[in-house]
Amino acid sequence: MAARAFTSLPPWLRSGRVLIGLTIVAALAICALLAPQIAPHDPNEQNLLTTFLPPAWMQGGDPAYLLGTDSLGRDVLSRLIYGARVAMMVAVFASFGAMIVGATLAYIAGYFGGRVDALIGRAVDVWMSFPPVILSLILMVGLGIGLRNVILAIILVDWTRFCRVMRSEVLVIARKDYVAAARLLGFSHARTITSEIVPATVPLLITLLSLEMGVAVIVEALLSFVGMSVGPQTPAWGQMIADARQYIYDSPWGLILPILAIFLAVFGFNILGDGLRRTLDVRVTAQRT
Amino acid sequence: MDTLAARKLSVSAALAGRPVNVIDNLDFTLAPGRILGIVGESGAGKSMIGRTIAQLLPPLFSVSQGELMFDGQDLVTMAAEDRRELLGRDIAFVPQEPMSGLNPVLTIGRQIDEHLARLKVGGRRARFDRAIEMLEAVHLPRARELLSKYPHQLSGGMCQRVLIAMAFASRPKLLVADEPTTALDVTIQARIVQLIAEMQRQDGTSVVFITHDLRLAAQICDEILVLYAGRVAEYGPAREIFARPRHPYTRCLQLANPVMSGARRGLFTLPERMPGLAALSGLTGCAFASRCPVVKDDCRSVAPPPVEVGPAHRAACLHSELTATIAAPDLPAEAEPSAAAPLLTVNNLGKTFRVGRGFFRHESVEAVKNVNFDLADNEFVGIVGESGSGKSTVARMLCGLETTTSGTVALAGRDVSAGDAAARRHLRAYAQMVFQDPQSALNPRRRVGSIVTQSMEATGTGDRAARLARAQALLSEIGLPPEAALRFPPQLSGGQRQRVNIARALCAEPRILIADEIVSGLDVSVQAQLLNLLLRLRRQRGFAMLFISHDLSVVRYLCDKVLVMYRGEVVESGPTAEVFDNPQHAYTKALLAAVPPDDPSSAWSPSTEASDRDAATGNPL
Repeated sequence: MAARAFTSLPPWLRSGRVLIGLTIVAALAICALLAPQIAPHDPNEQNLLTTFLPPAWMQGGDPAYLLGTDSLGRDVLSRLIYGARVAMMVAVFASFGAMIVGATLAYIAGYFGGRVDALIGRAVDVWMSFPPVILSLILMVGLGIGLRNVILAIILVDWTRFCRVMRSEVLVIARKDYVAAARLLGFSHARTITSEIVPATVPLLITLLSLEMGVAVIVEALLSFVGMSVGPQTPAWGQMIADARQYIYDSPWGLILPILAIFLAVFGFNILGDGLRRTLDVRVTAQRT
Repeated sequence: MDTLAARKLSVSAALAGRPVNVIDNLDFTLAPGRILGIVGESGAGKSMIGRTIAQLLPPLFSVSQGELMFDGQDLVTMAAEDRRELLGRDIAFVPQEPMSGLNPVLTIGRQIDEHLARLKVGGRRARFDRAIEMLEAVHLPRARELLSKYPHQLSGGMCQRVLIAMAFASRPKLLVADEPTTALDVTIQARIVQLIAEMQRQDGTSVVFITHDLRLAAQICDEILVLYAGRVAEYGPAREIFARPRHPYTRCLQLANPVMSGARRGLFTLPERMPGLAALSGLTGCAFASRCPVVKDDCRSVAPPPVEVGPAHRAACLHSELTATIAAPDLPAEAEPSAAAPLLTVNNLGKTFRVGRGFFRHESVEAVKNVNFDLADNEFVGIVGESGSGKSTVARMLCGLETTTSGTVALAGRDVSAGDAAARRHLRAYAQMVFQDPQSALNPRRRVGSIVTQSMEATGTGDRAARLARAQALLSEIGLPPEAALRFPPQLSGGQRQRVNIARALCAEPRILIADEIVSGLDVSVQAQLLNLLLRLRRQRGFAMLFISHDLSVVRYLCDKVLVMYRGEVVESGPTAEVFDNPQHAYTKALLAAVPPDDPSSAWSPSTEASDRDAATGNPL
């Protein structure tokens, strides 16, 4: 019965990796969307009488604070749930933005080749020669803190990743005879790209996109760790790590839990991307059948 | 003792539940110093025999019965270590793709050295000397220099020679050559085949020569085994089989091949295709019955046993006496090329490529120079030449995929060589291109119906229903069922894909088709179907065609005029019959001599001059 339900799924879903990844990502998305409903406390509500509480199941824990409290007596669970909002917003918007910028340039470079390709290629080279963390920090200093600017900074740093990988794929497809045939039959350049080249690159796009989401979560955590992301009023996982760092010996949970949350989110995106790559890539599927 | 003998050998595939025999009851013997040709079309199971010898069967395939004796030992039941000892030492292989047979990141010298070390040729110095000896034995000049080169610096023919040298290094008892010349030019093919024969005579090696070319096999082999759907159709002395085939399939293959001498004759076309694995599983009776022109009722119910039809000549046919009654069809009267002003006039066409990267350093290569010709309405003009002769560049320039460096292309009275938007529009209205490789030419993500009506999509004519109707009309015109419109290209066979490729070009009603090697890589029977399709379409619709091919016999069958290209220049041109019967230029003569003659008993003397050119310059062309 279970086996039959499994095979009745569309082929791209028929993979353990995709299912695990989707479950994790969906759980995080629900946390982010319904944070006010799910969270037991206000994430910024301080209670200086109950600071450094361990999780409820430990000795000295309080059932009202399931995962304990931090140095200001704020509920860790609620902060984690609200922190998923920032993480998911960044993951989705930054990676889509980076994809749109990077892939568009990749289509242009790979399809037209020649000077255009050389120009875009050199731009990517120069861009990638900046250390990504430093570049994003500089951008944040310039743009100022705030969710929108975090997303913008990540797009500006990470579009090169898409451009590099996509360009070589586009290059291969653009040399196919069916692309030449489309031109000979009277398709314009734009039409040839959208109707003949883009569909062939969709599997790679989806894969890169899901991997990029994991990267975006990490970069946001990094930025909020050094206080260069969203403001202190908005709970974010990196910020929680930074706060708990000083009290690591007294209250290790405050550090471990947000790290686990980041780990889970990145793992979810990566395994989803890997699973999608395996099920969507014709070259891999062809070997199996 | 026989070098290789198969007794009741069957290889079965466990696909989709029940096992199907992809090789069924194979029986043959190969005596020392003889050459056995295994002939068949793709899917007949020829390569499976080479794989069985090496015991490198694909997953789910296994030997289900019988034995394959090499020198008195059964290769099937032999322990893996013993077989490893034999392979590469007593049994050598020459692969189909010379480039993929060599490791691209190691030098030729290193690869030969490794092979010799495995053969326990002692000492670095001794191996080096031996390597040079080996390369000289296969007539590779400047062997010492060659040892430090990488495979990509060599031409395909040279790589194949290196592989042959390595194969013969151990003086093997058996050589398995799986289509060793398919990927090579016709002039090189002749040299490689002769080289194998020469080395084989020196060492007294037995050879299994796997090929799809019956004429070539008849020329060089002692015995021939014709395979059809994994079954032996006919097995016997090569000349005998070629002169008096006793299985209808052998006869049909022979008649599907255009002739090189004598009067042009029609091509016999077999309907449909060889049964696939699924069709074979439930088969009773003869596997060829569904396509056989002389099929009788009992053929469908009784599997034909091999019958002795002559000295050492067996045919698996219940009615082998009917084979001789199969005759090639008559040539239908062809539309005469119109005598009016030519549709296309090419004048002094030239193309120079800049090679080498960097801003300051680059060389120019003249890929095409000074090409002149006319194409009249309803006329088929062939361009022949080996790879690198510039024939594809001419095609790409004519349809605007490549800019021209010099010269003019007048199409219906208008110069289109400028390549601007107006010229492109004009060009599109008159000429369409059919690409060589249907796998690359058809977008695997589009349905066939949408592919063939792509030109309507480009101009925005017709709605969905109109396009589907047009697609179905086109498909029936090229001989595909209307349901094919809803399928995707990977679901079609190679021949069907090439038909779709042609249909797409015809959709815009062009007056000229530019066809670049559109039948190369297809099986003989599929090639015959396509050639006859092109002739029928010309009778029905009327169009001119520029047909680029390396296969001279195909051009002889199809084209009214022919241009011979050599190193970017047209060295000879004229009416096909004239050029082929009375070649003037040395290169044309060499090209014609490289084709195995129709009659295997007449001498085949390909000139060595033209083919050694690539070895001498060392240029991978």
